[in-house]
Amino acid sequence: MKYLSEYRDAKIAKALARRIRATASRRWVMMEVCGGQTHTIVRQGIDELVGDAVEMIHGPGCPVCVTPLEQIDRAVALAARPDIIFTSFGDMLRVPGSECDLQQVRARGGTIRVVYSPLDAVDLAQRYPDKQVVFFAVGFETTAPANAMAVWRAHQLGVRNFSMLVSHVTVPPAMLALLAAPDNRVQAFLAAGHVCTVMGWEEYEPIAERYHIPIVVTGFEPVDILEGMLLAVRQLEKGEGRVENQYVRSVRREGNVAARKLVRQVFRLTDRQWRGIGEIPASGLAIREEYADFDAELRFGLQDIHATEPTECRAGDVLRGKIKPNECAMFGTVCTPMHPLGAPMVSTEGACAAYFTAGRFRKAATAGGVA
Amino acid sequence: MSQSVFTDGLVCPAPIAEQTHVLLGHGSGGKLSAALVRDYILPHFANTTLQELGDAAIVDIGFSRLAFSTDAFVVNPLEFPGGDIGVLAVHGTLNDLAMMGAEPRYIAVSLILEEGFELGRLQRIIASMARAATAAHVTIVTGDTKVVERGKADGLFITTTGIGVCDSDFRTSPTQARVGDAVLISGPMGAHGMTIMSAREGLGLDTELTSDSANLYPLVRHLRRAVGDDLHVMRDPTRGGVASAVNEIAAASRVGIELLEETLPIDPVVSAACEMLGLDPLYVANEGVLVAFVPESRADAALSALRTHPLGARSCQIGRVVEDNAGSVWMRTTIGGSRLVDLLPGDQLPRIC
Amino acid sequence: MCLGIPGRITEIHDDNGVAMGTIDFGGVRRSVCLAYVADEVAPGDYALIHVGFAIAKVSEDEAKRTFALLEEMSQLDELEWLGEIARTNAAELTAPVEGEREGVR
Repeated sequence: MKYLSEYRDAKIAKALARRIRATASRRWVMMEVCGGQTHTIVRQGIDELVGDAVEMIHGPGCPVCVTPLEQIDRAVALAARPDIIFTSFGDMLRVPGSECDLQQVRARGGTIRVVYSPLDAVDLAQRYPDKQVVFFAVGFETTAPANAMAVWRAHQLGVRNFSMLVSHVTVPPAMLALLAAPDNRVQAFLAAGHVCTVMGWEEYEPIAERYHIPIVVTGFEPVDILEGMLLAVRQLEKGEGRVENQYVRSVRREGNVAARKLVRQVFRLTDRQWRGIGEIPASGLAIREEYADFDAELRFGLQDIHATEPTECRAGDVLRGKIKPNECAMFGTVCTPMHPLGAPMVSTEGACAAYFTAGRFRKAATAGGVA
Repeated sequence: MSQSVFTDGLVCPAPIAEQTHVLLGHGSGGKLSAALVRDYILPHFANTTLQELGDAAIVDIGFSRLAFSTDAFVVNPLEFPGGDIGVLAVHGTLNDLAMMGAEPRYIAVSLILEEGFELGRLQRIIASMARAATAAHVTIVTGDTKVVERGKADGLFITTTGIGVCDSDFRTSPTQARVGDAVLISGPMGAHGMTIMSAREGLGLDTELTSDSANLYPLVRHLRRAVGDDLHVMRDPTRGGVASAVNEIAAASRVGIELLEETLPIDPVVSAACEMLGLDPLYVANEGVLVAFVPESRADAALSALRTHPLGARSCQIGRVVEDNAGSVWMRTTIGGSRLVDLLPGDQLPRIC
Repeated sequence: MCLGIPGRITEIHDDNGVAMGTIDFGGVRRSVCLAYVADEVAPGDYALIHVGFAIAKVSEDEAKRTFALLEEMSQLDELEWLGEIARTNAAELTAPVEGEREGVR
């Protein structure tokens, strides 16, 4: 597959790993924000290849994981209604709410359809005019343009039975919150390549400057990630702290202007709860008043649904990079993908699930894994 | 002129001859049922044993040991590129018998039809089953049909039960993998599962993918001839894919399995479809592929034998059995890292991240 | 956030004022919304697709340029690495064997 397979080249990947180890004079601590990058790193064993040169802390880059408990409960409430066809991306189905998850609602008779694109949900609304179709709009800035277009399209075509339950989050406030924490150990960031494809990297420049920290916009394939790490290590060795772009084939400084325009037209910034972390001001998106007709929370009166997070789950500490998943006492015993306590164990991009399925804790327990 | 047929106390005044869809009455055991079997099923599965329509089929198998297997088939959509639920049901049970080293001989078919199911469609599926059975030299000797109310059966469920004859003392078993065995696969992974996924309404994928549903017994014969009793384990990796199958074997045999990511065979379009939906091909269902465990020293002979048959043309070695991490499956990744390949808690779901 | 894959645009059309099209991703085809890249793409171009939307045109020039650099680095690195191995082997051959002292056989 063009522009994908080449970036999985083993020879180049190994050469990059060797370069990283040769360039680093000490062990540097880096964070990749995006869940898709966590996925590649853990599944390919990239962090093992560069182990002595780089410590990777996995950031809160899984929008599925950070969706507040409250939103899941609201989704569950909507999906259970017989007049509603609830549509969602696949990974949301197993995220536990206060009582149950969407998959269980489906088992009890709720109509839930997995869709690939939010436009499919609008389509569904046109095909079933006597039902309400609600779309669970989750994601970072990467997905906001798609969700914005869905609202705009519904508005343009007069599709009155369509609405969205929004749970969008934005990356820079989360990075700032992490950097502001007194116990922060992160020395460089691999910024989420696809978020930056939409947003560009202008908003990272003040962050890099203020904290004098390298921020490398990085792609998702093994070669991309290793190259991103190498660029970060080089900056660190030279004492630099600026924004750099590894993902040049897809990202430009201004991002996608048309996409940002429609996102601003449909959404406004709002304070958002991040599951396991707490509230981060101005870190989320909500539907603007002009498009309030398409806001499921208003249409269905969900504002009274509130939830409190259970205290045993240390998702917050994992998402902030304070502990590794396998340092949580519940990891792999009480909390596994089969019976998750919190979201990072549910979504395959969540750090806990990624660690569990890649066998990280089991490796320590048994004799060495693959030599 | 209409005839009335009593079905569970309800009067069904519809003329039998004009049915285009399954009625509840077709499951009653009365005339409608008889007509359904006579007109839509028997003509395809024609054989003397079946024509007798006894409660069970009496078949002649000599003094051999038997292999005996049953499986239910529920798939959506019912018809898809490369096959349908009927073909899956025939091959599925044949393959279960073949994976134990037995020669499949006879099959029983049980149909659960939903009220309202199109009879023309039933015909197509039954004809398809008949063709699959004939090509595999097995006979469908007995069966049953039931009808349930609209909404209770997703169209059609099929259960097939099969009997096969074991060849003298030879037996394979998931407990027989040994340290030093080579893990072989007979063909590329993921074709069936991704075909079904693509054919599902709602994801909107347009591909030329086709299901790989096939009768695997000929491959088994080739393997037996080439390596005899050195054929330790065979498994057809259906639901849960290759990853689930080798995990079960690792657990049953109490050995470790090490896979090499770069050796896993996969067709480019299957791979592309997996990428698009964020799915791992190791967990995607196959219906025309087998994995086999033979001592490393016999791997070449086994692969040569498999490759002489069209179904096995792309056979290759994908790993080996080791002592470390008994009960687990690990994989060396393409860039030289390693990761555990564990059983999934549930189905894979298309993802956005 | 994340799952974006590069696909080749095979056709573009207008659907009620919104640019839509078809992409081919390694033999899998799907309808996608091209509204956000409509000004820069033509059939034959590659675009990055996320949840049914093209969010960027893939710059073939940038990709070629940077990939060439990567390959060059990888080849240099291989030579260096082979050189290292050779040096290590040479060092091993000339080092005194345990139990022997220089000059003593």
